[in-house]
Amino acid sequence: MEELGWLAISGRIVQQTLPVWVAMAIVFVLSIRFRRRLGLYGKLFDSNVGMVGFGIVLFWVLTAIFADLIITHDPLAQMRGMRNAVPGSRLANPADQYPYYLLGGDSLARDVFSRAIMGAREVLKIAPFAAMISFMIGISLGLPAGYFGGRLDTGLTFVANLVLAFPVILLFFLLVAPEIQATVIPTAMAGVLFLVPVLFVMVLLNARFFTQPMKRNLYVGAALLVGLWAYSGLAFNADPLGVWGMRANLLNVFVAVVFVNAPTVFRIVRGITMDIRTRDYVAAAQTRGEGPWYIMMWEILPNARGPLIVDFCLRIGYTTILLGTLGFFGLGVSPESPDWGSTINDGRRLLTVYPHPALVPALSLMSLVLGLNLLADGLREESLRD
Amino acid sequence: MKHERNDPMAIHPAARMYAEECRTGRLSRREFLTRATALGLAAPTAYGLLGIAAPQARAETPVQGGTIRMQMDIKAQRDPRTWDWSELANVCRGWLEYLVHYERDGSLTPVLLESWEANEDATEYTLRIRQGVTWNNGDAFTAEHVRHNIERWADASVEGNSMASRLGVLSEDGQLRADAVEVVDDHTLRLHLSSPDIAIIVSMADYPAAVVHPSFTGDDPVGNPIGTGPYRPVSHDTGIGAVIERNPDHTWWNEGNGAWIDRIEFVDLGTDPSAWVAAAEGGEIEITYQTTGDFVDIFESIGMPSSEAITASTLAVRFNQTQPPYDNVNVRRALQMAVDNETVLELGYDDRGEVAENHHVCPIHPEYAEMEPPEFDPARAAEMIAEEGLADHEFELISIDDAWQAATCDNVAAQIRAAGINIQRTILPGATFWNDWLNYPFSSTEWNMRPLGVQVLNLAYRSGVAWNEAGYSNPEFDALLDQANGIADADERREVMLEIQRLMREDGVLIQPYWRSLYRNMRPEIRGAEMHPTFEVRYQQYWKA
Amino acid sequence: MLLFLARRVGVMLVTALCLTFVVFFLTNLPAKLETLAKTQAGSRMSDAEVASWLDRNGYNQPMLMRYGEWLGVVPGWTREEADGTVRGRCVERMGAEGYGARCGLAQGYWGQSTRFRAPVSEVIGTRLGATGWLMLWVLIVMVPMALIVGVLAGMREGSRTDRSLSTFAIASTATPEYVSGVLFIALLASSTVGLSPLLTSWGVIDGPVLFQGNARSALEGITFWNFTLPVLTIALYGMGYIARITRASMTEVMTQQYIRTARLKGVSFGNIVLKHALRNALIAPFTVIMLQIPWLLNGVVIVEVLFSYPGFGWTLYEAAVNNDIELLLAASVVAVIVVLLTQLISDVGYVFLNPRIRVT
Repeated sequence: MEELGWLAISGRIVQQTLPVWVAMAIVFVLSIRFRRRLGLYGKLFDSNVGMVGFGIVLFWVLTAIFADLIITHDPLAQMRGMRNAVPGSRLANPADQYPYYLLGGDSLARDVFSRAIMGAREVLKIAPFAAMISFMIGISLGLPAGYFGGRLDTGLTFVANLVLAFPVILLFFLLVAPEIQATVIPTAMAGVLFLVPVLFVMVLLNARFFTQPMKRNLYVGAALLVGLWAYSGLAFNADPLGVWGMRANLLNVFVAVVFVNAPTVFRIVRGITMDIRTRDYVAAAQTRGEGPWYIMMWEILPNARGPLIVDFCLRIGYTTILLGTLGFFGLGVSPESPDWGSTINDGRRLLTVYPHPALVPALSLMSLVLGLNLLADGLREESLRD
Repeated sequence: MKHERNDPMAIHPAARMYAEECRTGRLSRREFLTRATALGLAAPTAYGLLGIAAPQARAETPVQGGTIRMQMDIKAQRDPRTWDWSELANVCRGWLEYLVHYERDGSLTPVLLESWEANEDATEYTLRIRQGVTWNNGDAFTAEHVRHNIERWADASVEGNSMASRLGVLSEDGQLRADAVEVVDDHTLRLHLSSPDIAIIVSMADYPAAVVHPSFTGDDPVGNPIGTGPYRPVSHDTGIGAVIERNPDHTWWNEGNGAWIDRIEFVDLGTDPSAWVAAAEGGEIEITYQTTGDFVDIFESIGMPSSEAITASTLAVRFNQTQPPYDNVNVRRALQMAVDNETVLELGYDDRGEVAENHHVCPIHPEYAEMEPPEFDPARAAEMIAEEGLADHEFELISIDDAWQAATCDNVAAQIRAAGINIQRTILPGATFWNDWLNYPFSSTEWNMRPLGVQVLNLAYRSGVAWNEAGYSNPEFDALLDQANGIADADERREVMLEIQRLMREDGVLIQPYWRSLYRNMRPEIRGAEMHPTFEVRYQQYWKA
Repeated sequence: MLLFLARRVGVMLVTALCLTFVVFFLTNLPAKLETLAKTQAGSRMSDAEVASWLDRNGYNQPMLMRYGEWLGVVPGWTREEADGTVRGRCVERMGAEGYGARCGLAQGYWGQSTRFRAPVSEVIGTRLGATGWLMLWVLIVMVPMALIVGVLAGMREGSRTDRSLSTFAIASTATPEYVSGVLFIALLASSTVGLSPLLTSWGVIDGPVLFQGNARSALEGITFWNFTLPVLTIALYGMGYIARITRASMTEVMTQQYIRTARLKGVSFGNIVLKHALRNALIAPFTVIMLQIPWLLNGVVIVEVLFSYPGFGWTLYEAAVNNDIELLLAASVVAVIVVLLTQLISDVGYVFLNPRIRVT
């Protein structure tokens, strides 16, 4: 049974990931060409750090998108004779399959390369989405808390501090346990947490367009329809069309991650709001007679976007690490899931003998988080230059 | 190994019959030893019936002294009869001894008994209690103490008392039957069974059957360590470790035949074997409790050879027939058909065992009937699932989070998936898994070995029994099993067994991929610590060269 | 100032009360109690046995009542057995006097750990001590390392040193403990791969491994060899963030007027950094270090489990896995106190370091 050398392996990996490289080249050429017209995003390409970070993140995003084209084997399929196979091993009986395990096989004889690629999709399916929901919740609560102050602020801050006082791991053990999954708690929490983004979008649109009732009704109505549709599917798994849906354990993990992240976002937004509230343009809007929600959503929020975008990038990275932590404690998303955290945890036990099953996802995870951090740094530098 | 002088008049006729079967190859030697010794023969006599000498226990002379450090889970102690993990028993083996021991070769050796014999139809057993045994508080050990222990074992009102179900032939309404145990004199006891049972003595070798002092109130055997054995506990910290030392204030009845080491230290390093490897490399442990999968090789590579025990332990990937869609026999059979057991053994258990045949009777069981291997036809499996209208149904296979069990189920699921049937996996943490283990629609359960083939079938597949996790209820099967239970001769029983095995397969009761071999790794200087098929750690016999 | 402290302590109490109730609620769900019964009395028990066990051990009263018992505001449960003996929460602790008495937090009783079969206060006490040592060494390693990296990087913004050190800092925050810990073990504590076989063959080290990949022996005595890897693992992950804050703060200070003045006056660069810039640049990192401590708790759980070091994090893990209710409650109280106390210290310390701010 011949094995591939490292050079051949690298060559084949580049070949497999070709769609990613092509797409990346296109994005970069276009972005650099038109960077002056692209606002903050365009400025990213003025900073080396930002560009490197963006490049890494883009690589993984594109990989996740093209994952189906890239993988060489079904990430769950197990081939006889390929247990812990070294990188570049040839299949015993390839038939019409791709004849090599490019990065070797794991302890269940699955293809490490395909799992890492599919893992990118798993991770990027959850982390940014969870971060986004956390942000919407944090913003929806942080804006009024910072803007109105008073009792509302005291109450919300207390609740946020309450959640933050929990050691994250304890919270996960309490919330992600299988016994909890069987109760109504995750669904109830999802019911509350997922409602906030729907309300957020509606208030956002309503505040903007309430002077033009026709347009408002149309936009808000459409948003409500789509929002409730997604809401019914995601929170209660009751989507009549079956487009939106989440497995019970995924929902559980998702809710826990959002629950942990939202209070931090809340605190950031609240702080920024309290700062921006005293600015002149807010006073101007107030004298114009704008409603408080308009001011919050359309005056304060856009001006707070810099630090929020930076934190968003960091938070995706942090969420990725958090998901891995869950995997480490066996609370992961799904047992066979190729997500990096669980894969690292499965592979780490045999690291001293067969390093590749753990190293590949570990390096992937580290590079993605590194990329997100660099991207955040670049964005911070550039937004400070405004 | 204790050397027993045998009572020459007491060779049970059935034992002679078994010996004949064994000589003609119809009974394995291991099985012969189990059954002959269960009927009261001492191991050397049993070997004698076969016309061979008992294997010499050891050629080297044991060295006195030293400390052994062993990796083992240390769980919170409780009343021995409610023990549910062998680890709990192993800690206490140094001072709580047993009436009999089950040996690696399948024989039984008397410990606190001197000998025992059964009557013709195995309904009456006479137990002779060993003379000269004392408790470490100075009391003499008597037949009354044994009666007291049997009474404790038979008490079904204690939650989690697993001995009660083993002593059904001695009890009535969840308590010991008044006339079941007759104390003949200080050192003789007679058991009157309500029906024949050749497993009763074997049951007394099971780990929850530790013999406790009459003053034991049922909470913590470590806190008040009165026992007959040569050791005593020094410290016991749940989750961390336990230290046991030789008891200088007690004269052990078996002085000179064991209790070599001064001290044994159990270290609880959690469930992650890579932590054990790290600890072994740092010199913190010298022997593991049980090693599985790739770790056998890893330990060997760092200078800790392995000791293997071949067993009838297995993983039963069973369907619960009371839950849809598994109430449909075609679905069960289709899923069986999608799985190649040899592949499961290779990928899920690293080829460390024997392929099994989906009927939970092991070739090392005497009554095992040879059968053609189960059918493997993934294409037909997918067709059958489609015919039942379940092409889009997503099956779910549940397992505990233990590494080898999860890996095995992952492979079963992968094969089912490869056949084109939708399936997802769920892994539950150890603490949660047992909450509902009897009712999961499709899940896997670890079964330890029982010496006889009918024993597990009686425990797990007869209609309505407590551990019938398959929800299997087939009057024909029950009738055949009753019939088999009544046949002492293995050959005759094998004919019934063939029908039983076939029935179980036709009814698609379970996917049973393999029989496990068990491993333990230790430093080369450690002796007497070979892997035991039922995980016993009898550190009285351990020593260091 | 006193009023401020009193208010903070008040908030702390209310927070702890709320948190413990949440923990209590989540650990006392019926399914969780079943888990507890099965881990305590036998994993293959029948449903009837589970019910009877829960009943006999006082778990089937209303949840609020039992929370009250734990707090010590409601008398503990008692129960007369068939044979006339009386059992109960307080009876086991105080003997016959415990009948009808209260025994809970208010009476200074933290309860009994079901996992470790020992009083919770004892378990938490010893384990916190173990973690104390770990944290001490982590801080000793992490803080100076982070400050040095941050100051060096922030001294000359945009220089090559800055770029490489910043990248290192970012990379260290991008490497979670469960990756770095495992890599360290493979590289430094394995007799088959990494550095150790090399060193052994060169005769540099006597044993088969350089460091120990398991910290259990540190319970008996902390040595350089058994404690380096866990300390390094936590320190590395926590370091990056502090280093970045220090760098940011340092760069800001270095652009201040008074630094420029000093430079123009001809003070040497080293003197400027040490005498003028450092004190002001360290205000921000101080608060961050304090706030980092509760956050390190996460890392502590992972590392203690990974290296089987029985400290507070390991106890938390064991208690959570085994649904050890009273131990978990105590652990969460400790966690709340740590979080809020470090916040308080960081606020107060901020005032002392920065005289321009007053506590109101």
